[in-house]
Amino acid sequence: MEDLTSPLQDVRGAECAADTSDDALLRQFADGDAVAARQLTDRLGPRCFSVAMRMLGNRAEAEDVTQDAMMRLWQMASNWVPGQAKVSTWLYRVTLNLCVDVQRKKKPDRLDDAPEPEDEDLSAAERLQNAARKDALQSALSQLPDRQRQAVILRHIEELPNPEIAGIMGISTEAVESLTARGKRALAAILAGRQDELGYDDG
Amino acid sequence: MNWGMTMAEDDMELDQLFAQARRNRPEMPDDLVVRILTDAEMVRLDRMRPVIPPRSVWARILDGIGGWQSMSGLAAASAAGVWIGFAAPDFLPDPATIIYPQDTSFVVADLGLDATFLEDAE
Repeated sequence: MEDLTSPLQDVRGAECAADTSDDALLRQFADGDAVAARQLTDRLGPRCFSVAMRMLGNRAEAEDVTQDAMMRLWQMASNWVPGQAKVSTWLYRVTLNLCVDVQRKKKPDRLDDAPEPEDEDLSAAERLQNAARKDALQSALSQLPDRQRQAVILRHIEELPNPEIAGIMGISTEAVESLTARGKRALAAILAGRQDELGYDDG
Repeated sequence: MNWGMTMAEDDMELDQLFAQARRNRPEMPDDLVVRILTDAEMVRLDRMRPVIPPRSVWARILDGIGGWQSMSGLAAASAAGVWIGFAAPDFLPDPATIIYPQDTSFVVADLGLDATFLEDAE
């Protein structure tokens, strides 16, 4: 009979299995396998890019951060100790640190390049409304303090489990819960002021 | 105002926004993938290049005089020279006697000086 009492454990077990593959691919790359680089790029690049886009709200900067983070992955491949940590955890951490570096160098409130809506079936009005909502989320996220923004993005957009977020951010699971809760409250407060223009009252 | 209801509505709206953000995750542009793979290839090829250790000064001097073979010949010749210098065979004149003659008077006589001069000089 299937054990439904520990879904979290099952999920984490599956993640560990996937991560072993990341380890193996990284080892293969370190041994000179070019195909492994392609597989690692397909697997880890989009996550890196997604987080960078949400953290920075700017496509060009997110692309540079993604390339830089992946470059660090290639460079550390031969020194990687399998099983010591998750490759994705390491990469998320590097990505977030690079984003913080970029934010420190630039002026605040640059929000020029949010991702475009991709659903072809929507009407023009719906698409505009979706774009406004997405921009609203991005705009609200950009107003959060760094650590809250990181925790909220990793938890609610990347859908990572709290223990993994704790590993990425170097804090306790309780601290992650506190950061995400405060981040959500702050987001709700920011968005509440814009509710009318986002069309949530349409039913 | 019912704050509990408002909070729940806020949460629902936020969850909708998060769900939408998850659905519309940005895709990596092709040129970014190319940039990343180019970096990977650069690192990979660099790692596969054979490592040539830097050569020491002594190794370069050795190369200049023809390597270890010539060095061993040079060492043997030097050792033979030193040995001949200290223990010359009987049929060869003793180089030490040639350079520093033992019989001083013979040399002085050869120069046409007498013993009186030598005594003065001393």
